[in-house]
Amino acid sequence: MTAHLTLASLSKHYGETVAVADISLVVAKGESVALLGPSGCGKTTTLRMVAGLIQPTGGRISVTERDITDMPAHRRNMGYVFQSYALFPHLNVAANVGFGLDERGIGRAERDHKVGLALEQVRLTGLADRKPKELSGGQQQRVALARALVIEPDVLLLDESLSNLDAKLRDAMRIEIRDLQRALGITTLFVTHDQTEALTLCDRVAVMNAGRIEQLADPRTIYDRPATRFVADFVGRSSILRAMRTVEGGIALGGTPISVVGPLPAGAELDVFLRPQRIVLGAPNAKAGPDQNSLPGTIRGHVFVGDRQEVLVDTPAGRVMVETASGGIAPTTGDTVSLIWSAADTLFFPGISP
Amino acid sequence: MNAPTAAGRLAGIALVLPAALLLTVLYVLPMLGLGRMAFNETGPTGAMVPALSLATVKALLEDSFTLETTWNSLWLSFASTTLTLLMAYPLALFLHRTTSRFKALLTVLAVAPMLVSGVVRVFGWLALLGDRGLVNAMLMGLGVTSGPVRLVYNYIGVTLGLAESLMPYMVLALLSGFGRLDRACEEAAASLGSPPWRVFWRVTLPLSLPAVVLGYLLCFVLAMSAYVTPKLLGGGRVFLLATEIFDQAVTNVNWPAAAALALYTLMLVMLLVSAYAALTRRVEA
Repeated sequence: MTAHLTLASLSKHYGETVAVADISLVVAKGESVALLGPSGCGKTTTLRMVAGLIQPTGGRISVTERDITDMPAHRRNMGYVFQSYALFPHLNVAANVGFGLDERGIGRAERDHKVGLALEQVRLTGLADRKPKELSGGQQQRVALARALVIEPDVLLLDESLSNLDAKLRDAMRIEIRDLQRALGITTLFVTHDQTEALTLCDRVAVMNAGRIEQLADPRTIYDRPATRFVADFVGRSSILRAMRTVEGGIALGGTPISVVGPLPAGAELDVFLRPQRIVLGAPNAKAGPDQNSLPGTIRGHVFVGDRQEVLVDTPAGRVMVETASGGIAPTTGDTVSLIWSAADTLFFPGISP
Repeated sequence: MNAPTAAGRLAGIALVLPAALLLTVLYVLPMLGLGRMAFNETGPTGAMVPALSLATVKALLEDSFTLETTWNSLWLSFASTTLTLLMAYPLALFLHRTTSRFKALLTVLAVAPMLVSGVVRVFGWLALLGDRGLVNAMLMGLGVTSGPVRLVYNYIGVTLGLAESLMPYMVLALLSGFGRLDRACEEAAASLGSPPWRVFWRVTLPLSLPAVVLGYLLCFVLAMSAYVTPKLLGGGRVFLLATEIFDQAVTNVNWPAAAALALYTLMLVMLLVSAYAALTRRVEA
């Protein structure tokens, strides 16, 4: 794995406001990395700095060891796909896609050939003469993608590129972009606030908060082993329970001792995060296996969601949501059950005052 | 859309009626009067003779002076509108783009000249461009010229004065049309490899073309009908359709001739506007 795109201590300040505090990130050739975070976390600002659309306050950006921090946008060779697509309304599809090739002084025949290939890649052959406004959202998205890819950019930059599409199309485009990115082996930086997009589309995910990267890891690690409370909270859903230190040095949920993996933080109180899919409902007083935790509870109710079922369980430590398969028997409200989950799935962070 | 109900149709008529009445009384009727006037004749004494003849119109069209003033008017309107566009475009683009908190104030300042009477502005130009004005004083002081350069009471002065007086209209027209200008499109062009001037040439300018078309049309028509600025800055040496109509009507008291010339000007402008509209429709399609 060789470093392709390197961000070193990148920062952007607007007067007193810090949009990006300190971002360091190394993206390998062909790798796709998502910048995931809530709005205002600095992810788009970071992307725009890589594209050269805004000048960083501090830090360096380099591509294959070449420092491009002070290079103007038009000399960087970055393929930027805008959230609004930003297609040129006065040009047809072919002219939109060929725009970057014209700027590179590529001859007419070669240009037309490349435009044709690019349109084929995004399955838009036959629409070359259409104006952008005559295309559907998904088609516009594909034109934007073809336009960015045809210049054979060093890095593909996607800015919330799927957020303007409806859910079904978004799923289809996600797979399409992923396949294309893999097939071309193009280094990609993908900005999104949608965790599903980040987790499914990218090799690694950088979860951002307040201008910093909270955690940079592969999707599974982000979900299963969140490094910070923010990451655990932002990615996926959790029931948050307050745990107390026991005299033996362990922790207990509502009086029931539980086991966890890893060193416990200091402090008398901890917050335990439980993913709803990682808990199994068992018979009351069911025996938990080794490296498992068990907590007694009472069924409070359940919600049928279609592809799954959400069961609310009251425990001595608080209310817990458990996800079960939708085909199963609906639990009866008032039944006593036990919640069973693995010690490794017990996410814990220093307690914060509610 | 649903078919309009009888009540809805009635409401529509009621809504249009006041404007229609006002236009009929203040515009259509006088225009008809003007049209009728052009077919009267002027007697040997200069008094108007009611008639239904084409003599006045024929005399107008046969007079080579008509062709000369037409040419003057068209050329002057073209020059001053083009000059206005060149000056107003960067200004309007800046006003559209600026993120300054004084943006609203700056916009008001740009159109503020409209608040000042045209006559006052003409005197301002006379003070600047006159033989002993600021510009000539500077030129002579620097030794660029030995004597004053004639900048007023000719077409140069009128073109400059008109261009200045049209600028607020052009700025407003451009600003209202810059809505289609998407910053992201310009950024997209930059990311695709366009240096700033290419971004302007390939994206900014084409996208702002509808605004330019609108502003140019508006200002051209205003320039064709401008009277005060050409009259005062021309000092009687600039002969245009608008000034000629005034002279015929007021100085010569030859109303039939003035009416015929006014109708001629009106038709000329209408012809130009429709040709222009047809042309721009073809460009945009």
